[in-house]
Amino acid sequence: MSNLREKGTARFGHTELPEKQQQALRKAVKWEWITLGFLTVSTVLVYLVLGNSQAMKAAWIEDLLSFLPPISFLVATRVIRRRPSETHPYGYHRAVGVAHLVSAVALVVMGGYLIVDSGIGLVTAEHPTIGGIQLFGSTFWLGWLMVLAMLLTAGPPVVLGIVKMKLARTLHDKVLYADADMNKADWMTALAAAVGVLGIGLGLWWADSVAALLISFSILHDGVKNLRGAIGGLTDTRATVYDDSKPDPIGTQIDSYLQSLSWVKEARSRVRDEGHVFHIESFVVPRQWRRATLHKIEKARAACVDIDWKVQDMVIVPVAELPEEFLPGLTKSGGERS
Amino acid sequence: MGRIRRAVLLVLLLLGLSGCGIAIPQDPEGTLEKVTGGTLRVGVSENAEWVQLPPTGDPHGIEPALVEEFADTLDATIEWVPGAEHELADDLFHGELDMAIGGFGADTPWTKEAGITRPYTETTDERGKTVKHVMLVPLGENAFLLELDQFLLAQEVTL
Repeated sequence: MSNLREKGTARFGHTELPEKQQQALRKAVKWEWITLGFLTVSTVLVYLVLGNSQAMKAAWIEDLLSFLPPISFLVATRVIRRRPSETHPYGYHRAVGVAHLVSAVALVVMGGYLIVDSGIGLVTAEHPTIGGIQLFGSTFWLGWLMVLAMLLTAGPPVVLGIVKMKLARTLHDKVLYADADMNKADWMTALAAAVGVLGIGLGLWWADSVAALLISFSILHDGVKNLRGAIGGLTDTRATVYDDSKPDPIGTQIDSYLQSLSWVKEARSRVRDEGHVFHIESFVVPRQWRRATLHKIEKARAACVDIDWKVQDMVIVPVAELPEEFLPGLTKSGGERS
Repeated sequence: MGRIRRAVLLVLLLLGLSGCGIAIPQDPEGTLEKVTGGTLRVGVSENAEWVQLPPTGDPHGIEPALVEEFADTLDATIEWVPGAEHELADDLFHGELDMAIGGFGADTPWTKEAGITRPYTETTDERGKTVKHVMLVPLGENAFLLELDQFLLAQEVTL
């Protein structure tokens, strides 16, 4: 943070962030620290009342794993601020993708492990044993404390998730998005664990294992979803919007701008997501070669960079004919490739 | 947000249920109900001053005395079943005992076969290590376990 203020403007590599994104970045960093603070309190609280409940164990491990995305985000926002160097000519934006992949793998592994662990408990009909605890001079059932801990930790992540979701959209940050998405679903985990423990209380020994299985599947589900996103990003899938719901419109915007220029006959771009910013190669076929002056090409590039802050690492390649091997789906009609 | 509200309602409902009539926790196998006014089957394994097994007559020592008092609160008659630790653990696992004593420590290796109570007293062994003393109960019989925990934690056990 202090580093950001010293420089005056926040940067992503050689991209200077517009005011709105700078603010969003500062807020996102603040909220991720708040998230870490909350997680510390909740993991300690849940650990203290863990007992013999498999569902509580699964919920606790999910809490532990929830540390990864905020930490990845905070580390990545530091790394990507470095300017591109000789050894890293594309900048350090891929750090975001690496952070995303690490979190996703951890989720998949733990989800898988917990499914097996809880499944064994269910098959071998393990009866979870939860006895009394002495607090303030009286002895009562530890299960009540478990339920209380779960209910206390169910609410805050939902608020955190909603706040961070908005920032993720502004910053075009997929790690932040994945983190917010997990937080938003966290209340279900807490509730499943609470119901599992109450089930034990009612003499239904299997309720605990079933709740644990549900939680484990949700962890695995998060993991697989994130793994897809992270691998997609690292393997240069075309750029999509922050929640991967549709292709990012920037590609089409750039194509139609370039096509509108009088000296351009045809133009088509390919766009990949480097983390926050895009890496764009636009192939342009001039109407006549002598009209495609260096000046015009430079001007067109500057105009494209002005379209959106995410456009910075952009090259315009004048070609005699659009190269089909670099632009798959070229033969389809219309400006939009699918 | 509607889903959250409904889920919270469900929890509140369960909590409400417990308030009116249904005691939580319950025993899946009904141990507490069976021993109350019935027979309490207690496994005993000899261990210094904790459990002593004379050639004839009932076991005596710190833990048998505690168990006798506990059985009184439940109006239960005790059936003593002597055996080695592993036999007692196995019997507990198969529901052939209601509890077992033998000067067990909280670090007992039998936690796969049996549940343990809260430590009711602490001693120091000859190597200076603290031993937290517990009794063994059947796995998952939580109402019975809570009853025993409440009894033991209310006792002042000193050596």
